[in-house]
Amino acid sequence: MYIYDKFDNTVVNERVADFRDQVRRRLSGELSEDQFRPLRLMNGLYLQLHAYMLRVAIPYGTLSAAQMKKLAHIARKYDRGYGHFTTRQNIQYNWIKLEQVPDLLGELAEVQLHGIQTSGNCIRNVTADQFAGVAGDELDDPRVISEAIRQWSTFHPEFSFLPRKFKIAVTGAARDRAAIQFHDIGIQIVRGDNGEIGYAIYAGGGMGRTPVVAPLIRGFLPKPELLSYIEAILRVYNRHGRRDNIYKARIKILVREIGAEEFTRQVEEEWALLRNEGINLPAAEEARIRKFFTPPAYEPAAKAAGEFEAQRKANPAFARWVETNVHTHKQPGYGIVTISLKPVGEIPGDATADQMDAIADLAEKYSLAEVRVTHVQNLVLPNVKQGDLFTVWQALGKIGFADANAGLIGDIIACPGLDYCALANARSIPVAQEISKRFESAERSALIGPLQIKISGCINACGHHHAGHIGILGVDRAGEELYQITLGGAGDETASVGQLLGPGFKADGIVGAVEKIVDIYLELRNPGEEFLAAYRRLGPAPFKERLYASH
Amino acid sequence: MRVIEIAVGKDLKPVSDSWSRLADDAAPKAGEKVIVPLARLKSGDNQIFAAAKVGVEITGGDAVEDLKPWIDDLGLVVLRFGTFKDGRMFTAARMLRQRLKFTGDIRAAGDFLPDQVVFMLRTGVSSLEVADEFPLEAAKRSAKAYSVRYQHAVDTQPVAYEERARLP
Repeated sequence: MYIYDKFDNTVVNERVADFRDQVRRRLSGELSEDQFRPLRLMNGLYLQLHAYMLRVAIPYGTLSAAQMKKLAHIARKYDRGYGHFTTRQNIQYNWIKLEQVPDLLGELAEVQLHGIQTSGNCIRNVTADQFAGVAGDELDDPRVISEAIRQWSTFHPEFSFLPRKFKIAVTGAARDRAAIQFHDIGIQIVRGDNGEIGYAIYAGGGMGRTPVVAPLIRGFLPKPELLSYIEAILRVYNRHGRRDNIYKARIKILVREIGAEEFTRQVEEEWALLRNEGINLPAAEEARIRKFFTPPAYEPAAKAAGEFEAQRKANPAFARWVETNVHTHKQPGYGIVTISLKPVGEIPGDATADQMDAIADLAEKYSLAEVRVTHVQNLVLPNVKQGDLFTVWQALGKIGFADANAGLIGDIIACPGLDYCALANARSIPVAQEISKRFESAERSALIGPLQIKISGCINACGHHHAGHIGILGVDRAGEELYQITLGGAGDETASVGQLLGPGFKADGIVGAVEKIVDIYLELRNPGEEFLAAYRRLGPAPFKERLYASH
Repeated sequence: MRVIEIAVGKDLKPVSDSWSRLADDAAPKAGEKVIVPLARLKSGDNQIFAAAKVGVEITGGDAVEDLKPWIDDLGLVVLRFGTFKDGRMFTAARMLRQRLKFTGDIRAAGDFLPDQVVFMLRTGVSSLEVADEFPLEAAKRSAKAYSVRYQHAVDTQPVAYEERARLP
């Protein structure tokens, strides 16, 4: 993985010093809260319902074991012993004291972590496929260009006060595990007509109160020109994005209002001028970054394979976990392990300090000291030998993270909701907990198959409900929490926005409604047909009729 | 109000300033350095060029391209921040320098934070018009807060990848 050199370390250390001074000025009253707000947000610090919340960046979802241990330490020392992994590959701490933040950031900087641009109206932490570098289906490693984007976007002097936040995601595979079409800019590594590597560029996607699947604005961009092209997009957005209404300020609204064609024309016009202004990444720097992502020396596989087969045969629960939570590695004999942070009845994405430490130890022993964070709030051990899978599974069982539910109905995304968030209309965590309890049976969820439930506690859609096969949106109706259901959303390469099914359900009825939808699906599906495919074939009618007939 | 000169690598320096804003419809006096709004410049009112020097003030919604016909005759462009949250002026400054090749003074005015001086320096702003109570010390700190740059803008110091390339 990428290791900071003295320049990168200097940036982070100077940021800590700068923020220490800003906090001092806030505490002394020199800065008003209104003035301090954009400064603290650009460093990931929110003021929430009960306390400050700090969001720490995990660029493109990659963590070393040592960094994970530091995250555990931070949870113990500055929070209440746990942290929350988010849908943008970050971690959040919910109980932070303002006066301690400079010291906390100083400790993070020791392991090359920070909160830079994890919030605010700037270019946010860049996200990527959590299987980068280890998935068999990728054309090129998305972390190389993600790291280049991380550096280019850090303290960008022109784009630090945008109309609204700006999120970039990168995938190196045709199978989109980074939800790129729901980002302000989505980048897919593709091959050109002559087989050369370049990028397909999507722009203007997003969730929130106006969900939009991003249009493709350029089918092929030559590899050396990426930074000048995204700079052109940012410039058009910074100049022309709406600033009169916070709810219409994202780039998706600009693209929609002037049309994708006109937006693309403006970007291309700007790019024609910008591409020669020295913005593109020199080949030598690309090569320098790429070296950090050289594949490790994998061991020849076969020797443990027989044992692995025997372990699966002897232990059905292990076999089920391998089936759902272990993804094919590009290197034969290795597996990519998804650690489900969704134990039945628990808070999606939460991990205690002890759990983080245990995962860091596992990474050190069994995964070349690396951990990944996924945008569905799980963790990944990217390099586990098949012969070690059984041991890893047992160790995960000891910390309560061996649930065989990756990609299944229990693998729910939920935003913090009204339990923590100042913006929320309704609680989301308890709904997620109740659903996972209702579908507790591993046999039953295996029978149901791939099904993504995503829950947001308000229209801002941090729980990505628009992209859920089943989406749940908490709303407030005259002081009562109601939950609306959308169906048919998807955040993969077939991205679509879920359609609202009908009136909302009360807190005591939402889990039953989800169960009913699942039952209808099981009854109507063709053999082997997954939920999303079945919904796309059937449409909302059979679900709507039967759900509301008994409502 | 006072004017502060800013430049990469140099201390912020309060300077005496001889620019004045020309009242609507008024004609400049001989030897005067006047600032007019963009609309007046565009109106074709050539009497303003009787001034010793002409400056123009633009706001967030103005397009810097509109200054093109006069760019060689302008001594100053004032970028008025309606609010510190409005980042359009950073683009305006950079385009003035890089596209319009403007070499005169670019002055930030209006509502901005001392912490934004670091970005102003890098996008080509060369002076600040601030209220007397403006926290100059905080702005000085901001100007020196970061010694590494990750991307090219208007300033000419080497960026991180150029520094790396020079390492033995």
